[in-house]
Amino acid sequence: MVIATFAQVGVIVWLQGQRNTIAAATDRANQRFAQQLRMNQVVVELENAQRSYFLTGDDRFKAEFEQKWNEYSTVPTAIEQFIDIPDDVTSLKSVDEQIQRWHQLTQDLIARRDKLDNLTRVLEEQTIPPMRAVRSTLDGRQRHETDLRNRMIERSQEIDFSSAILTLALPAVDILMLLVLVTVLARILLDPLGTIAESARKISDGNFDVKLPLAKRDEIGALVKAFRDMSNAVQRRQRDLTEALTREREISQMYASLRANAERESARLQATIATVPAALVIVEAPSGRVVMQNAAADTLIGREPDDEAERRDYWEDFHATYRDGRHCPFEEWGTQRALRGEVVVGHEMIVRPPDGRTVPILVSAAPLRNDTGEIVGAVSAFQDITNLYEVDRLKSEFVSIVSHELRTPLTSIKGSLQLLLEDLPLADPDHKVLMDVALANVDRLVRIINDILDISKIEAGKLELNPRPLDVRELIDHSIQSVQQIAKGSSVILTPVISDMVPKVMADPDRTVQAIVNLLSNALKYAPARSEVTLAATSEPKGLVRIAVTDHGRGIAADKLGLLFHKFQQIDGADTRRFRGTGLGLAITKALVEMQGGSVSVTSELGKGSTFAITVPVARQG
Amino acid sequence: MKLLLAEDEPDVQLIARLALKRGGFQVVTASNGVEVLERVGAEQPDAILLDWMMPDMDGFETCKRLKADPATQAIPVIFLTAKVQESEVAKALALGAVGCIGKPFDALTLGDQIRALLGK
Repeated sequence: MVIATFAQVGVIVWLQGQRNTIAAATDRANQRFAQQLRMNQVVVELENAQRSYFLTGDDRFKAEFEQKWNEYSTVPTAIEQFIDIPDDVTSLKSVDEQIQRWHQLTQDLIARRDKLDNLTRVLEEQTIPPMRAVRSTLDGRQRHETDLRNRMIERSQEIDFSSAILTLALPAVDILMLLVLVTVLARILLDPLGTIAESARKISDGNFDVKLPLAKRDEIGALVKAFRDMSNAVQRRQRDLTEALTREREISQMYASLRANAERESARLQATIATVPAALVIVEAPSGRVVMQNAAADTLIGREPDDEAERRDYWEDFHATYRDGRHCPFEEWGTQRALRGEVVVGHEMIVRPPDGRTVPILVSAAPLRNDTGEIVGAVSAFQDITNLYEVDRLKSEFVSIVSHELRTPLTSIKGSLQLLLEDLPLADPDHKVLMDVALANVDRLVRIINDILDISKIEAGKLELNPRPLDVRELIDHSIQSVQQIAKGSSVILTPVISDMVPKVMADPDRTVQAIVNLLSNALKYAPARSEVTLAATSEPKGLVRIAVTDHGRGIAADKLGLLFHKFQQIDGADTRRFRGTGLGLAITKALVEMQGGSVSVTSELGKGSTFAITVPVARQG
Repeated sequence: MKLLLAEDEPDVQLIARLALKRGGFQVVTASNGVEVLERVGAEQPDAILLDWMMPDMDGFETCKRLKADPATQAIPVIFLTAKVQESEVAKALALGAVGCIGKPFDALTLGDQIRALLGK
């Protein structure tokens, strides 16, 4: 291409040179032609002037002749300067000489004019033929010049034409060459680029089956290599993305189904909460602010206000108390305890909601935790137990009334029997026995009534204890005294064993004696005749005194031990007439002891005997 | 010693009277608190045995009146109660009674019990 360009430039330059040359030559030819014409014209006019002068003798023609001659003088030189060919110069000079001679001759003749008689003949003979030769030569020259000029013009035109052709052709050639070049380049450059582009298109459509051109060690090659790397990377990325998308879709589906489940569960829960008859409240930690409560809760406790200060007051105004009248502080409420992590079951409170009622409620509450186990809230359920309290109250009242009503006739019966027994001679031993039986049963009835009343009071929480500092020895003595008769009847020896350092205890005297007597009674049921029942009092760690009743009866099976202190449990086979229990004795004992802060225990070995023990708290000094 | 016995149940009154007689007491009876107040002045008992539950005026109210009245203030009062409520005892003592005896009482030792409470 470069060479071609240079060539073209060379051609154009050469052509231009040619044109210039020809233009110059043409110009000179034109000049020569014009000058020659002038020369010829002037010569003709010279001759005409000469002839006219000679014919007329008019001086005007002579002047004209001289003027024309002056004019002529310049001509040959004028022509000469445009002549290129030396021979041409020679011929010009030759004709010029001839013309000079003719002029000279003419001059001569003009000078001798007067002396000549046959001027015309002289003219004809002497001037016309040379002039004729000159004119012929001049014509010939003219023709020559004309020829030359025409030829020059022709050549000029040719050159122009060539030029024009070239002007058209060269660009055309150039364009052609460019086309070729472009085509070649395209093949070299664009094909691979096209392939790469095509590949890119395929890849973007997801079709990774592409054929890349060979990577040669040029820029295209680098591009191809880079493209291939990129394509691989894209392919890999595509795979990763597809996998991620699939996973994403799975997760999405799972999420959707979980969400649907959760919503279903939530709806179910909401429905449950709304319809469950108990009042349900859910609070958030740590503020205790209510986040959800059902309609039953709305009715029972109303809605807390939003404002923090008012909220606190709202709950304070409930004046929560325990059944015994003690104030129940906010911190001890079931919900608050649950927020601290406690599971609260059956917490009783009496509250005074804003509508002015007094409502006993039974509260159960539990903390709500998140995945990490942190407490995020609490749920509490509570019920209006006014009915229960009422029932309790009625029961208590019933029991009280009945107890009272029963005791009255019993008083009469017992008194009658006792007084009779004392005063009647009753010679018949059977009669005495019958009286004893009657009395014993009256006592038994009394005991039953007492037990029932006690257990009823205990369960209603209405059993009052009046603890005082008590001397343990006195307690024991009292207890022994109470059962002395029975012991005597069975010939059982009651032995108190009190260690010296046993301190005073803080307990309700009557009730503690009752508990000990209960144990003693049981022991006496099993103690064989003439055996010993010991009543031992010892000091225990943690500020307790242990009072243990030990018998040497037949003992109790290990699997029965756990049930003993439950209600209505009779120790098997005890059939001392005088002393059937109600099955409540041990249960009452347990309750009494535990209410005072102690505990009960039993150990037994079949065939050897049993030890029943209670602990009583020590009275604190000061 | 003269005892004024207030008991509304006739049978129990009988039994108590007999028991007290056996125990060496002279007994005058009343059936309710009103009667007690009416007769206390005339009878001038050494002690009054008051049943807790009586119609018209119960033992509690009667005792209150007795203790409020300077004329009868000094007379020791002992309650007879079915001891259904522990609080009965406390209330009784708070009123100034010297003690309580529970029903059913031991007829044979009733006299002794009263003597013991009276500090004799």
